[in-house]
Amino acid sequence: MIAEVGAFSLVLALALSVGQVVLSAAGRIRRSPALAGAGEGAALAAFLAVATAFAALMHGFVISDFSIANVAANSHSQKPLLYRVAGTWGSHEGSMLLWCLALTGFGAAAAGLGGSLPRGLRASTVAAQGVLGTVFLAYTVFASNPLMRLVQPPVEGRSLNPLLQDPALAVHPPFLYAGYVGMSVVFSLAIGALVEGRVDAVWSKWVRPWTLAAWSFLTIGITLGAFWAYYELGWGGWWFWDPVENASFMPWLVATALLHSAIVTEKRGALAGWTLFLSLAAFTFSMLGAFLVRSGVLTSVHAFAVDPTRGVLLLMILGVTSGIGFALFAWRAPKLGQGGLFAPISRESALVLNNILLAAATVTVLLGTLYPLIRDAMTGEAISVGPPYFNLTFTPLMAALLILLPAGPLMAWKRGDLRGVVQRLWVAALIAGGSGVLTIALVSPKKALGALGVALGFWLIAGALTEIVERTRAFRVPLAQTLRRLVGLPRGAWGMTLAHLGLGVFVLGAVFETTWKLEAAEALPIGGGLGIGAYEVRLDAVDPVKGANFDADRATLTVTRKGQPVCVARPEQRLFTAGGETTSEVGLCYQGPSHIYLVLGERRDDGAEPRWMVRAYWNPWATLIFLGPGIMALGGFVSLSDRRLRLGVGRRRESKA
Amino acid sequence: MLLFWVVAGVLAAVSAGLILFRAAGSVTSTGAVDPAQILYQRQLTEIDDLVERGLMGEAERKGAHAEAGRRLLTASEAPVLTWVADPRVRGLVLLAAVAVPALALGLYLHLGAPGTPDQGYATRLAAWQKSDLTTLSPPEIAAVLRQAVKDRPNEAEGYRLLGLAEDASQNPIAALQALRRAAQLAPQRADIWRMLGQAAFAASGGKVTGEARAAFERVLALEPGDPAARFFLAQGKADAGRTSEAASDLRALLADMPPGVEGRAEVQTRLAGLEGKPAPGTADPQQLAMIQGMVDGLAAKLKTDPDNPEGWVRLVRAYAVLGDTNRRDAAYATARARFSNAPPVLQQLDEAARAEPMR
Repeated sequence: MIAEVGAFSLVLALALSVGQVVLSAAGRIRRSPALAGAGEGAALAAFLAVATAFAALMHGFVISDFSIANVAANSHSQKPLLYRVAGTWGSHEGSMLLWCLALTGFGAAAAGLGGSLPRGLRASTVAAQGVLGTVFLAYTVFASNPLMRLVQPPVEGRSLNPLLQDPALAVHPPFLYAGYVGMSVVFSLAIGALVEGRVDAVWSKWVRPWTLAAWSFLTIGITLGAFWAYYELGWGGWWFWDPVENASFMPWLVATALLHSAIVTEKRGALAGWTLFLSLAAFTFSMLGAFLVRSGVLTSVHAFAVDPTRGVLLLMILGVTSGIGFALFAWRAPKLGQGGLFAPISRESALVLNNILLAAATVTVLLGTLYPLIRDAMTGEAISVGPPYFNLTFTPLMAALLILLPAGPLMAWKRGDLRGVVQRLWVAALIAGGSGVLTIALVSPKKALGALGVALGFWLIAGALTEIVERTRAFRVPLAQTLRRLVGLPRGAWGMTLAHLGLGVFVLGAVFETTWKLEAAEALPIGGGLGIGAYEVRLDAVDPVKGANFDADRATLTVTRKGQPVCVARPEQRLFTAGGETTSEVGLCYQGPSHIYLVLGERRDDGAEPRWMVRAYWNPWATLIFLGPGIMALGGFVSLSDRRLRLGVGRRRESKA
Repeated sequence: MLLFWVVAGVLAAVSAGLILFRAAGSVTSTGAVDPAQILYQRQLTEIDDLVERGLMGEAERKGAHAEAGRRLLTASEAPVLTWVADPRVRGLVLLAAVAVPALALGLYLHLGAPGTPDQGYATRLAAWQKSDLTTLSPPEIAAVLRQAVKDRPNEAEGYRLLGLAEDASQNPIAALQALRRAAQLAPQRADIWRMLGQAAFAASGGKVTGEARAAFERVLALEPGDPAARFFLAQGKADAGRTSEAASDLRALLADMPPGVEGRAEVQTRLAGLEGKPAPGTADPQQLAMIQGMVDGLAAKLKTDPDNPEGWVRLVRAYAVLGDTNRRDAAYATARARFSNAPPVLQQLDEAARAEPMR
């Protein structure tokens, strides 16, 4: 019964989304608060309905109800509970339902929290969000229904790809989707603003928290994905410029640009058109990502390899929704008023430069992602655009952005004082330069580019801290006053500092890891060893172990340094009973921020005694790669908690009036 | 069934209620005050804050103040489009509150399966456990046995039967695992070691692995002269390139097998293959008819229960081996379409379709 309640709730959500569009649009046209309110009610109910359907599907996965086709195709009765729960979003259909859950969830939040928005903008936004909900729910109900039943359920399910049976990956999609789909509210707000013909500070103020929330979730989602790739795929890397990775990275870049341009629109009324454009672009890139992984044009663990028909349908949704958005933009944006003027050296200019560089970076990633696909479609010739392309295009753009970054927050609005900024940053410059020189002196082999990267990382961290020092006037006023100012700093300021600092931490990790990583591989007998940097790795034993739904060979590898024991790692080679697939579990030894990364490969019986392939990596400062984005996301959430982002005052005044 | 409709009705009523409730609550909210004014007011205080922190000079403060003031003025002068409470829309809202659940009901009756009960694994397993084993399919028997060995984990016989059931369910890896445990529990039983060896052979796709070899050697130690063990050990030698040794082992085996005994033909075929001679008896029409019958049976079974990837792989391979290219291609196309989203199955199908014909 529960599965059918879910199926009913799903179509109810579709009907409610249609109601949301009709009622909100009618409310806006007739300027009727009752109709607009009814539209908001429909938005709230649509979320409840999708949540019910989602819970029903999850229940089906938990009890292994193979009469639900989606459960039969993607689960197995012997799977551990966590992965049965995560199986809810492990397939194309289930993840579309998760997408709809996030979409209606954000729609309900916009409808429920929109009290401080002007009435017209609110109704238009709720209507636009309703259109998105209708389109995606219709796609889910008619073309990808996860609650379809089987007349003759199979005895066992076909299980979930074992690579996806991992804690980080179990929670990766919810974060990623909260990020992707969070951009839908920004998209709808942009449509609302274009319909109303008004882009002002209130609008930008409203765009910011949604962008911040979506951006923070997306940051966490991408980081979890990278971390999973790092320790689950066992090739020692964390980012490969794979089209699927790029699909999540492009909306992130656009959202980052949007976060910054929205500030200019809010504070100075300038860049209104550009901010609108980015608001539309962010969700368009999210939809492009959804299309790429679901159309079957990519082959990857993320690619659901769905049949082309459903891919074409998604492409149509992408084309129509973003097409309408950009057409509306082309028609209405030129009529938007001019904003405040600013000098070439000013906070505004710095933020414009930030946006130009981020936009250019997004375009390079887009080209690198789509070109091989287009070429494959046109000529049938498969080419791969990999790290060399991105290192030559994306990296210099980002380097330029990062060099300029610490100066931005220190600039005054309207007309900045370049000399003053340089004066404030000399300590940071000294720290950066010093760290570069120290790197050259201490780290071997000597690599100039790596040292420059390390200097850049410290430049960002020191620059971010300089901002706080400036704001609190530290070292210039008595300590008590500095502390008072520190406590009084708005959360938004802390958020920005954390985000910029996190970026610096990430740069340090990424530069160190990619420049000075070491790799060794050898087929080892029991008792055999191999060297990696200053460490010795010895294979002590390989024992069979039994998991819930897999059998594994677990190696015991002892790591020593100059004869002293450092740690014991236990990488595994797992064989999953249900599908017969093997996966490898990496063994990690944490040495401060660095990792000794150990992989157990296949057994070889060709010699006198059995040997196992053991691969070892020395990944210096690798923790920082994942810690940095974590700090950035934390900065996003801290900024989100800033009370200045709330417009509660408006509601109070209104109710008094 | 009744409970389902009650729950669905409650969901529909809550939805309609939310629409009506929000509509009623919004009637008086006419949005006469523009939040922009409040915001610009706050910006003015933020400018003062910047000045106080020394981030803005006096001259800039004047400019910024003037600008924010101008924006505040513009905002306050903008025509406020008031929204009006219109009693005529009441009917419209009510209509929507009824139409939305009605639309949902129509869609559900078209797409859903009203009255289909949940079929959790535990419930189904309990039903299989209560029913007569002979009425169950091999996967169902395997499910029952999996539970049984969990309850009695030290009985070799349970694992042996589970191995048989898993093998019959086209689940060679699970069969191998069950038999490993059975052999561990009853190391004195040659029949279990023989099954384990054969399961290891099947699970590896037809190779005499180290595990299979060890198992057959155990069989020979327990039951010297066992024909199956000798056959597979010879096969292992042939795989390793020791052809003449394998052939002489098979010849010795053949000499020990009385004519007409089960498996003799298979040994002959294999021996002929090793000696490079045409296999005797492959053209035996009776045998061919039997094979054909088995393949037809499999095809019929897949027609009624098509959700069986291993079955399809076997069918495609069987047609390929029989040299029936038309049916091979048809089965291959059907299976590929059915398992288009399962790359491992597709790969197995490709391999099966490439199998060499027998003649």
